[in-house]
Amino acid sequence: MSTSEAATVIPIYDPAVAGKAPATSAAAPAATAPRKFPIPFFRRSDRGSRCVAFLDFLLRIAAFGPTLAAAIATGTSDETLSVFTQFLQFRARFDDFPAFLFFMVANAITAGYLVLSLPFSAAVVLRPQTTGLRLLLLVCDLIMVAVLTAAASAAAAIVDLAHNGNLRANWVPICMQFHGFCKRTSGSVVGSFIAVLILMFLVILGAFAIRKR
Amino acid sequence: MKGSVEQGETSKAPLSSGISKGVAILDVILRFVAFIGTLASAIAMGTTKQTLSFFTQFIQFKAQYSDLPTLMFFVVANSIVCAYLILSLPLSIVHIIRSRAKYSRLILIFFDAAMLALVTAGASAAAAIVYLAHKGNVRANWLAICQQFDSFCERISGSLIGSFVAMVLLLLLIILSAIALARR
Repeated sequence: MSTSEAATVIPIYDPAVAGKAPATSAAAPAATAPRKFPIPFFRRSDRGSRCVAFLDFLLRIAAFGPTLAAAIATGTSDETLSVFTQFLQFRARFDDFPAFLFFMVANAITAGYLVLSLPFSAAVVLRPQTTGLRLLLLVCDLIMVAVLTAAASAAAAIVDLAHNGNLRANWVPICMQFHGFCKRTSGSVVGSFIAVLILMFLVILGAFAIRKR
Repeated sequence: MKGSVEQGETSKAPLSSGISKGVAILDVILRFVAFIGTLASAIAMGTTKQTLSFFTQFIQFKAQYSDLPTLMFFVVANSIVCAYLILSLPLSIVHIIRSRAKYSRLILIFFDAAMLALVTAGASAAAAIVYLAHKGNVRANWLAICQQFDSFCERISGSLIGSFVAMVLLLLLIILSAIALARR
């Protein structure tokens, strides 16, 4: 009965308390077993649309290469012939042809757009449910397809004329003299058309991903 | 209780189904206008023929669209897009009735994108050649043939308009189809 003694704790078995404790410890691993990642928004149902968005991101990087290469190759095309003839000018540059100027500008704009749309594409990978962002990317991609196709086909028309000439209109094929200029611009046009194909595939992939289940 | 649930469901459905029907009807109208545009372009370019009355030594005195392969490609591309647009008109009309169609809209977007690329390529290649015919090129020593063949030049310049209008309309059609896909 003296208070100087330490109180001894006697554990009392309470079936009500003991019944709850093993149940909660068994429920906790069952609740965390299907969630493998600690981040709450990585759900298994999003995997398909996330894969499609990642493919979109990769294709954007793939289309950036040819457009940048075409813009640079056309912009640095400058050929001066060493022999001077009476009827033909002896220097050819891309800005002598308005079609090539438009081609270079359109490729530069498309390359810049592809770089600027990379963060938006990454945001779509992280949150695959955003329909508004996907729609915006699709509309901008479509406009870029139209602009790039117009520029590439105008340059292709001029390149074809430079290679073959035209008998009726008395237009001589200038590729006979300006070899390097011709090869450079032809290669740029081919690269630009490859980028057009990739962009069109991006549009169709975007339309496929945007559909509501 | 069941009646009030049904009433609650149909109270906001007419507005969204009205918008879907409006989008589908606009789709049909734009498709028809684009068909008229490409048809007019193909016919206007395909019936060009001008013969000059005098004969000069250096320049041929007859001009037709088939003398320039780019203009031939323009006529062919516009004809293909014209045929596609009139063939896809029934599918568009079906979309007015059945707004839930997902995969047929996807197929329509796929072919619309391909036709957009084709008509843009044809129209802009022809525009480059028409610009060259108007202005010529000093560096390449290409003469401006519009000085001699003025009515031929006017025809080929005017026929580009219908093609460019059809290109813009095809762009709008794809955007409309994508919005319709995202809403349903």
